[in-house]
Amino acid sequence: MSAERSVSAANRGTLLVLTAIVASLALVGAYLASGGSSYAPAQVQDPCEPREWRDPEGLDEIAEQFSFSALDGAACELGVSRETLARALATPRSRERFTQRYGIDDAELARAIRAGLLRAVDDAERAGALPPLLAGPLRQTVRQIPLNQAIELIQDARTLLDQAQTFLGPAQGLLEQLLP
Amino acid sequence: MTEPRPRLVALAVAVGLVLADSSIVVLALPEIYRELDTGVAGVTWVLVSFNLVLALAAVPAAQLGRRVGPGRTAAVGLAVFAGAGIACGLSTELSTLIAARCVQALGGAAAVTAVLELLPATVGSERRAAAVWAAAGAAGAALGPAVGGLLTELVSWQSIFLIQAPLAIAAGVPVLAVARHEAATGIVAAELRSTGRPHLLANLALVMTSAAIAAALFLLVLLLIEGWRLTPIGAAAVVSAMPLAALLGTRIGPSVGSARARAAAGAILVSGGLGGLALLPKAEVVLTLPPQLLVGVGLSLVLSALTETALAGRAPQAIHGGWTISARHAGVALGLLALTPLFTADIAEQRRDAIDSGTAVVLDSPVSPLLKLELSQRINDRLEDERGRVPTIDPAFEPLPDDPEERAEVLQLRSELQDQLDRGATHAFSPSFGLGAAIGLLALLPIGLARRVDL
Repeated sequence: MSAERSVSAANRGTLLVLTAIVASLALVGAYLASGGSSYAPAQVQDPCEPREWRDPEGLDEIAEQFSFSALDGAACELGVSRETLARALATPRSRERFTQRYGIDDAELARAIRAGLLRAVDDAERAGALPPLLAGPLRQTVRQIPLNQAIELIQDARTLLDQAQTFLGPAQGLLEQLLP
Repeated sequence: MTEPRPRLVALAVAVGLVLADSSIVVLALPEIYRELDTGVAGVTWVLVSFNLVLALAAVPAAQLGRRVGPGRTAAVGLAVFAGAGIACGLSTELSTLIAARCVQALGGAAAVTAVLELLPATVGSERRAAAVWAAAGAAGAALGPAVGGLLTELVSWQSIFLIQAPLAIAAGVPVLAVARHEAATGIVAAELRSTGRPHLLANLALVMTSAAIAAALFLLVLLLIEGWRLTPIGAAAVVSAMPLAALLGTRIGPSVGSARARAAAGAILVSGGLGGLALLPKAEVVLTLPPQLLVGVGLSLVLSALTETALAGRAPQAIHGGWTISARHAGVALGLLALTPLFTADIAEQRRDAIDSGTAVVLDSPVSPLLKLELSQRINDRLEDERGRVPTIDPAFEPLPDDPEERAEVLQLRSELQDQLDRGATHAFSPSFGLGAAIGLLALLPIGLARRVDL
């Protein structure tokens, strides 16, 4: 009788351990099957990799893609993500925090942003969004642009492209008439 | 002398109160670190200091209790605990709060070990005394976070400590009668017997399981409040699932005779629950309930089985009870010390990743470039305002545009951005929960060995 009782107690112990194993595996398995191992933030794109330009339909769209290319180029130079740089350039305070955190000065930031703007001009030209005759003078402009204006250009590329077309468009038309 | 029943309640309250203190501030930590201008790593010491001092002082306090009498030791211990609790509540700096917590743990160690000496006279046997003592401690530790969360939300974090003073004094009243009796007669209630060696394997398993349980509780609370932005009272309601499940565990336990089987099953369940928390497939409170059920049932099984094993056939109970307190609270302190650097680094990295992904969502969205720029600036302001916490992003999207099409786009954008932040917050805790699960599984080694070797 007491032997039976002790066998039954041992069985209950084994059953308890087995139940614990099954319950634990069932929970972990169910969560894994529901995507538990991949529930993480999406990875952002490497800014040094080329980003495809969508078919630009108007000046606003071109300006936006131009800004993104410029951000990518500058972020690649600085070794940060495009998104980090976009937030850093949002306000003077966020820019200051960014330069302090990454230990860079305004001259380095300006160099990186100019490099980014040059990449944007290249990308726009390659995508057929910027005629070669406008691209050349634009490159000259961005190579000498001061930091604050360079940042404004990234934030509002539309103005730059608009002005470029306004001032350089007639010249382009003239050249196109003169050249065979 | 007090009647046995009220005295039993008072002694159980004293043990529950002291051991609740090891976890009662968990839900108040975010509030404390903001108010005292520190970080998660700094505020963790409010918990670590108490558990570490309790672990170090438990055995010496038990020895002291046997020398000067458990009544006097418990009375002085409760008075020190109450006084230090008031000092904690009045602290305006982290250093003074931590210092007061250390003193509180010293008083608590004296009280809780002396009560184990006083209980046999109240309940009739050492075995029953050990069971009451272990149950009161487990109840206190399990209920602590929920009570702390309620007090933080309804009153303030300071009230958690201030309210303990009158409770400790009330619990000390029946003890005073014993202390007076000891002083008047010179009789020390405990018989001075030589102390045997502590049960090394049971206590080692207690260290590991306690570290895993601390990980479950501490990390889950931080995930709920800091990651998913629940209020302390909301988080208290959620983590109440754990003590409720522990109650279920107390029902299962007695039907299984083998302490080793209960301990093994408990350790497996705690690890399984932590594994589930490491693999949460979405940032939804309801998904924390099954893992909490496993951890709750598991902690009740494993802590009671290991405490029983550590005390069984060993005398004096207070000293061996002291060893179990040391083991449990050393485990809590070690768990917190091991996991805090890991998860603070992870949360910072995941927060950056989540914010980057969220920014990418904004930049690549179909809303107008001007609105994007404005939103980026507002989101950036929200991030700076939150000082490292995962932000509530909704205010950055207010006011919503009037145009129905643009409004729909912005709402979609808000939901995608929030999803990225939730993913980041949840993912940040995964490695720490995973490490906790591994520590819990490691406890199976001493539990398994305990069958063959009885040290």
